[in-house]
Amino acid sequence: MTDTTERSDRTLPAEGVGGDGDGRRLAYLFISPLLVAFVLFYLWPALNTLVGSLFRWSLLSPWNIARPDTWDFVGVQNYVDTLTSGRFWNAVVNTLIWLVVFPVMVTVMSMLVSILIWQVPRGGALFRTAFILPMTISLAAAGVIWTFMYDPDFGVLTRFVEWAGLGFAVDWGPLTFQTADWLSNPGVIDLGFTQIRFVNLSLIVAGFWAFTGFGVITFTAGLTAVPDELVEAAKVDGARTGQMIRHILIPQLRGPMTIVATISVIFALRTFDVVWVITQGGPAQDSEVLAVLLWKQAFVFLDSPQAGLATAVAIIMSVVLIGGAWPYLRGMTRVAR
Amino acid sequence: MRSARLRMLVLYLGLVVFALLWLVPVMTAFMTSIRPLDEIRGGWWNFDGATFTLDNYARAWDQGLSSFVLNTFVITLGSVAVTVAAGALATYAFIHLTFRFQRLWFFLLITTMIVPIQLILIPLLPWFRTLGLDQGAMQFVGIILVHTGFGAGWAVFMLSSFFREVPKEMLEAGQIDGAGHWAQFRRLVLPLAMPGLVSFAIIDFIFVWNDLLLALTLLQRDFQPIQVGLANLQSPHLAQQDLVSAGAILAILPPLVLFAALNRYYVRGLFAGGTKG
Repeated sequence: MTDTTERSDRTLPAEGVGGDGDGRRLAYLFISPLLVAFVLFYLWPALNTLVGSLFRWSLLSPWNIARPDTWDFVGVQNYVDTLTSGRFWNAVVNTLIWLVVFPVMVTVMSMLVSILIWQVPRGGALFRTAFILPMTISLAAAGVIWTFMYDPDFGVLTRFVEWAGLGFAVDWGPLTFQTADWLSNPGVIDLGFTQIRFVNLSLIVAGFWAFTGFGVITFTAGLTAVPDELVEAAKVDGARTGQMIRHILIPQLRGPMTIVATISVIFALRTFDVVWVITQGGPAQDSEVLAVLLWKQAFVFLDSPQAGLATAVAIIMSVVLIGGAWPYLRGMTRVAR
Repeated sequence: MRSARLRMLVLYLGLVVFALLWLVPVMTAFMTSIRPLDEIRGGWWNFDGATFTLDNYARAWDQGLSSFVLNTFVITLGSVAVTVAAGALATYAFIHLTFRFQRLWFFLLITTMIVPIQLILIPLLPWFRTLGLDQGAMQFVGIILVHTGFGAGWAVFMLSSFFREVPKEMLEAGQIDGAGHWAQFRRLVLPLAMPGLVSFAIIDFIFVWNDLLLALTLLQRDFQPIQVGLANLQSPHLAQQDLVSAGAILAILPPLVLFAALNRYYVRGLFAGGTKG
């Protein structure tokens, strides 16, 4: 910013930006359209969520900061109720399945595909397009499409399993699994204190299909930055493909790997559309993730005053995300300055 | 030599298999949408005596899809226009001017890229009622402004990486000629950063077009976009895959066309967003 100051001091004192009144007024003219929308429709609602999480209310009789008759102050009770509710922890487990499985699938698959494409001399752009294309598809449409894929009567997956004779079912103690009923009852691992339900994996596959293109784009960018000399030197030394990938590509791709993993963790924690369209959190609450639970609390159970609970869940989700993504966030702020 | 050729063959085979696998879901939706429902029950890959028809589209269109599509265009084009215009102005100020709380504002804006939209979702409905944005066409104004507020962080973050590429010497030359900031913004920065603006506009278009959560929460039936229509049509108990698939293809098409036409800008914009992080 210092050079800006010097420049304008030299040439345009009337619009100087060294902090005098005119310059600042001009700056506010430039930023105010965006900031007005941002303050009115982002900061203010966010603040309302934060404060509203300390009150008991529903959307039929919403808590309103300007009307004390709507205030039913309960302190941290919404948080206590949330953290002691079985349904919340059920949603936490389902979200955790997303958080672990989704980023791993996305990162591994997109890195594999990018490295494969990187090695072929021709047609790379064409292959890449096949993966990037689903990225432009809405997650709602992706949900619809995967409902077709999983359809118990005429879904591609169901028919393929039948045709290839891959159908089987296992029941080994805590583990049950079957290659059918992908959305209603594909199986479960019963850990005693909680259950890992495979219906979540069916949903994750849909998200994975839609999101892998992002990883392909990011890894491709990383691969073009790998110095040619490094690859050539390795070839001269007689390195085999496997060695080259392990010792040269993977270390070089550490940056893109962090980005893809971070963004897919964020995606996984916020996931709503795919789940909502395919199962609405069902069967029962088997695939209910935090975002779906929150939405139901606020907008489905209208008669019981649960909006306060929903805002508490929103705050918990935000705190976890900001906390987890803090280094990333700091990095972005630094780079962009 | 032979082993090198074999290796290439295996590589290409692997890639073809992966790419085809990735295309199966879209193929499924497309084939379902252009064949009668009773034929689909035998599997869309079964082409014995297949009939291809646009009848599903015609019926879906008559049964409300037309208004969903129109609403989506209004919301998306409105949001993109407002976000790009306001975002470009604000980005100029962030880069070329100084003002109070600049760093704080920047930090708050960037934070919106991480924070889940659920943070603002619940109080928005009563807030719309207070502002009178919950009735009739005012709902469009409301959701466009929410998309602007939510997209503000992305706009400033992505556009600033493009705006910074405008050479400082050019700006200095402009200032010596006595051009004010407004003239500089319009005559120098905007034209030079146009590829960046296009990139961001495409990404924002696809983002807003594909939004389900905000529209589902904030809009009444007659003002909902196609994603909400899809989500509501989708039900395991109703056998209407013919209509739903036609709706899905129509929901996919505009972003896809945009992507196909301006692929380079889209990927470039994602690079700017992804690699700079």
